[in-house]
Amino acid sequence: MRKQYIAGALLAGTALAGSAIASDWGSFDGVTVEAKLIGGQQYEALYGRIAEWEAATGATVDIISKKSHFEIDKEIKSDMAAGTTDWCVGSNHSSFAPQYEGLYIDLNGMVPEDTIAEFVPGNIKASTVDGALLMLPRAQFDVSVLYYLKSNYEDADKAAAFKAEYGYDLAVPETWEQVRDQAIFFADPPNFYGTQYAGKDEAIVGRFYEMVVAEGGSYLDEEKKPVFNSEAGQRALQWFVDLYAAKAVPAGTTSYVWDDLGQGFASGTVALNLDWPGWAGFFNDPESSKAAGNVGVAIQPMGSVTRTGWSGHHGFSVTSDCPNKEAAVSLVTFLTSEDSQLAESAGGSLPTRTAVWKANVEAAQNGDDPYRAEALAAFAAGAEYAFAVPPIPEWGETTNIVFPELQAAIVGDKTVQQALDDAAEAVDELMRESGYY
Amino acid sequence: MTRRRLPEWFVLLLPAIVVIAAVVLIPLIFSLYSSFTPYKLTRPSTLWRWVGTYNYEKILTDAKFWAAFGRTVLFLTVVLNLELLLGLGIALLMNRVTWGQRTLRTILMFPMMFSPILVGFQFKFIFNDNIGLVNNVLQSLGSDAALPWLVDGRLAMFSIMFAEIWMSTSVFAILILAGLFAMPRDPLEAAKVDGCTPWQTFRHITLPFLMPFIYIAMTIRSLDVARAYDIVQIMTGGGPARRTELLWTLMSRTGYVDARMGLANAMGYVSILLSILFTIYFFRKLSAARAEIGMAG
Repeated sequence: MRKQYIAGALLAGTALAGSAIASDWGSFDGVTVEAKLIGGQQYEALYGRIAEWEAATGATVDIISKKSHFEIDKEIKSDMAAGTTDWCVGSNHSSFAPQYEGLYIDLNGMVPEDTIAEFVPGNIKASTVDGALLMLPRAQFDVSVLYYLKSNYEDADKAAAFKAEYGYDLAVPETWEQVRDQAIFFADPPNFYGTQYAGKDEAIVGRFYEMVVAEGGSYLDEEKKPVFNSEAGQRALQWFVDLYAAKAVPAGTTSYVWDDLGQGFASGTVALNLDWPGWAGFFNDPESSKAAGNVGVAIQPMGSVTRTGWSGHHGFSVTSDCPNKEAAVSLVTFLTSEDSQLAESAGGSLPTRTAVWKANVEAAQNGDDPYRAEALAAFAAGAEYAFAVPPIPEWGETTNIVFPELQAAIVGDKTVQQALDDAAEAVDELMRESGYY
Repeated sequence: MTRRRLPEWFVLLLPAIVVIAAVVLIPLIFSLYSSFTPYKLTRPSTLWRWVGTYNYEKILTDAKFWAAFGRTVLFLTVVLNLELLLGLGIALLMNRVTWGQRTLRTILMFPMMFSPILVGFQFKFIFNDNIGLVNNVLQSLGSDAALPWLVDGRLAMFSIMFAEIWMSTSVFAILILAGLFAMPRDPLEAAKVDGCTPWQTFRHITLPFLMPFIYIAMTIRSLDVARAYDIVQIMTGGGPARRTELLWTLMSRTGYVDARMGLANAMGYVSILLSILFTIYFFRKLSAARAEIGMAG
């Protein structure tokens, strides 16, 4: 009880400190800021705070679009083609940001340096393209961690059988090789699967990319030449192929993306699941998940060199054509302020400000939710290995070239080497056409 | 001084000309022009860089494009023929129904009333390897296989063909039924008097009469199927490993996801050839069929 009180006081204190600065959002009487924001229930708490900014500044926010980033991306491309980019604030994503040439302004100089320094440095780095700070990071600088069903590690018979077969103790996996062994061991298709992975679009390429890095390789070299068909790349892809061939993953995994994976683990039929922090609450909620109460969260495993850590994050940007950039910058700063992040991260999303991270971890440690504390500790430990995708406009396009080749190897149409060589050849052509070399 | 006036016919046609130019001609010319540029949606400046036939050369030597082209032709051929056979069968059966035929005709058209996107979602669920209806039925019948309907190359093509046929067979059925209604009774009665077997009557009298209707249905459906996109996109997205990639899933990914509109437009122009060829072929067949039953002219 006392602990909770202290945590509450700590949060309130931080909030108070935040609101003391809140009077400084500027005055923009009569200005209307048009915004295209990411949509979803989990973001509504943040958008609910916009009224506060409106009251403080006298401006009005008109949300003209609320969609997923994939949908917003298509909408922005149409806007750029039609020249209708005079709305002001846009939700942005580190994987999409580099491709919108000239759409968003450089926030360096527009946002005080002190404010920028309050963010986690890695987030600011990943929001910067060619020296321009294209967005203020909002949340979810997320690295996927390992969710697992605890019951699999509490069964003495299973532990003995595993040791007899693989020669080492059955414990929550530390390496991707152990994940492979255990996934094959746990699998009992079509009723139960060892693991699963995203199987198409950018999702599988992101997963492959982080495995390549974990195996000590790179996706592109300094010149932006594709080098993912190296030995490290082949080892990375082999992992996906082995699991598929052993039927340790559902046959339909090649058509799964995030929602399918989340629902799959929540159905209680998957033993090990590398997934995003945003799912933590969902997985342990009896209303939404059959695995609730049986979920453990651990730091993501290692490849032969380092841990995986493909990360992306959301942020807010201001367009170059915005008629009132000061108001837009003020709104973006407000939406990513300490207050906003404290409110938002109370719902489970990960903050981008150092102070908010600290407050959250302390609150969880002092609170009475060991699962949340375990998850936050894993996220914090996992985030240390975070790396973003190559900040080039062609990233998305390379993923469209690469993913069908990865699928071809996984379903057995091509060998690992052949699939990666074909993908590298096509990406090489793209990079050449794009003028990198 | 007399003012020069535009000819009356031109003034009267002007609104139509303006509308057609705005919604058809200008976009057509624009897309044709952009197919000779490296136009990227995210880089509007690329629209003014002329690269000649580069996009077309790239397409002509691109194995993936031709694989998608070939797959589309295969999809078209199988779907059209099966729809024709099923539609013909349904129409012949319906023609014999004497009570409640109108209600049956309405029920027949139900699948056409659904949005193709919803049909896609429906069959995606039905054919899901894990929670899908088909596999659950198979498993409850004792099979322990989880058939990867949307993953295996052949099964995935079969699944999308099944969905397409389910939705559109009634187009054939309705058009052929209209043909059966319009058929004169005299030749049929004469055939009966002359002692023709039912098969001979069908083969030499009914079918030739129906052929013009069949070719009209074929033309309409060939254009429809050649631009199959929604069902495929929802069910498989052209995957896995491009096993179900058709022209339009490829084109939409190139144009809207990769933002390479110039290249996508070039693909569009090459693939329009397919539709033109099919249309010419069916129109020729239509004329021949009309000539055969004395309707030429």
